[in-house]
Amino acid sequence: MQGVNYLIAAYAVAWVGLFIYLAFIVMRIRGVRTELAAVQELVREQQEKTQN
Amino acid sequence: MALTKPDTSVRQQDTPVSTKRSAGFPLASLLLGGLALGGMLITIWMAFLYAPTDAVEGPPQRIFYLHVPVAWVGMLSFIILTICGVVYLWQRDERWDWAARASAEIGAVFLSLALITGSIWGKTTWGTWWTWDPQLTTTLILWFMFIAYLMLRSYMGRTAASARSGAVLAIIGVIDVPIIYESAVWWRTLHPPKEIGVAGALPSEVVLTLMVALVSFTLLYSFLMIQVYQLQRAQTLAERLRALVE
Amino acid sequence: MNKTARRIVGTDLSCPGATPCDRPARELRIFCDQVWAILWKDVRCELRNKQAWTSMGLFALLVLVIFNFAFDLRVDNKVAVAPGALWVAFIFASLLGLGRTIAIEREQGPMDRLLLCPVDRRAIYLAKLLGNVLFIGVVEIVALPVFAALFDVPLGVGALLPIVLFGTLGIATIGTLFSAIAAATRARELLLPLLVFPLIVPVVIAAVRATGDLLAPALNEPPWLGLIIAFDVIFLSVSTLLFQYVIEE
Repeated sequence: MQGVNYLIAAYAVAWVGLFIYLAFIVMRIRGVRTELAAVQELVREQQEKTQN
Repeated sequence: MALTKPDTSVRQQDTPVSTKRSAGFPLASLLLGGLALGGMLITIWMAFLYAPTDAVEGPPQRIFYLHVPVAWVGMLSFIILTICGVVYLWQRDERWDWAARASAEIGAVFLSLALITGSIWGKTTWGTWWTWDPQLTTTLILWFMFIAYLMLRSYMGRTAASARSGAVLAIIGVIDVPIIYESAVWWRTLHPPKEIGVAGALPSEVVLTLMVALVSFTLLYSFLMIQVYQLQRAQTLAERLRALVE
Repeated sequence: MNKTARRIVGTDLSCPGATPCDRPARELRIFCDQVWAILWKDVRCELRNKQAWTSMGLFALLVLVIFNFAFDLRVDNKVAVAPGALWVAFIFASLLGLGRTIAIEREQGPMDRLLLCPVDRRAIYLAKLLGNVLFIGVVEIVALPVFAALFDVPLGVGALLPIVLFGTLGIATIGTLFSAIAAATRARELLLPLLVFPLIVPVVIAAVRATGDLLAPALNEPPWLGLIIAFDVIFLSVSTLLFQYVIEE
């Protein structure tokens, strides 16, 4: 039944698409958290240097 | 155009506090995520098992319960994007801009899915992957507007000028969409539009399933909004701190 | 300050005995003076740069010729394709024209100096808009007879001019606003079409159909010219209001 194939294809595309997008968001959040931690470390070092 | 002036930059002693809060809205996030997931599962069950099979189209008609909510979220995102843009222009609080960018991104994804699912559904009902009927045409143009917004913001960076320009684009877009739709309707009056095939009163199961689907996808949208908003916030802060250090 | 500058900043208040009731009229006159002054400056600048005119004109003609080859036009299908070909040529020429004016601004930087004066931002927008309409309009007027010849369509139709005028105004209204936005980015030539095309879809549809209706009148056609004029009115007002947000510092 060709119709059912299209039905499954549509739902599959949508769900896979949404999951990929969710994964993409999670990946970016992790990336920016690392970046933020790294930069804050640098800022702290700079502050210590100017205090000393 | 000048970069954002230092008066809006993050003061250094505030940064540790805001990072802790950046795990932010955890309760709302969890709640919405859980509800969205629950709603999705219920929607799938209802769409495949509860709703009756359409007499004319058969099984592929069930794409309707996926395509309509996804398209709805796409439209909703654009409206939210514009509202955030207008408030930003008024209040100049960058948090509204973060929300606008988040809504734009999510809207682009959902609208892309709407176009794909709509195309697949069209293939089953009309035998063609694409047709220039007013709804699809307007959806396509709206999709281009989302892409234009994202590319504009990407090129202009995280400046105040970028936020203002984005807001202007959204406002013009939102006023234009009804005009585009109307002109497409006029354009197509000579060629009778192919009906979507849902004639007459819809059975209550169909309406209920559709409502549940709409609510679930809106919950999903809200959940994603929180996540991407936090992402935008963190990215802006990181960029600003990096500029301080370098 | 010379007279032009005084007119721009509106301190040429050489009207003795002005009553409070005269204020709106006087402000309007100052506003129009500002628009005219900026427009005249831009036009003088453009007139010096004749190369741009000729390249835009030639480009429009080239598009028309290419249409001939692309659609393998014969006598029977010419009338069907002619309006589309004309407007594609006009749209691409408009985009070139819009891109050029902002490129000049960025190179010479007059916008920044202009912003230092207390000029009404809306006056700047209207002046730029009129400049663009004039610039594109001249190219279109030159292209029309050639179009009529290449596509063998009767051009004795004075009704074509309003369609061309209001259609171009619609494209330029959106285009001027977004060329100011795109001017700030590095990839402005790439970004401008992406921003403008989706928004001018109603004008394109309406202009092509209105032109087609002129060449081959049909029954029960919707009021396409009315749609274009409505579009122009709506977006002229909205863009004039929004322009200040685009160029503020």
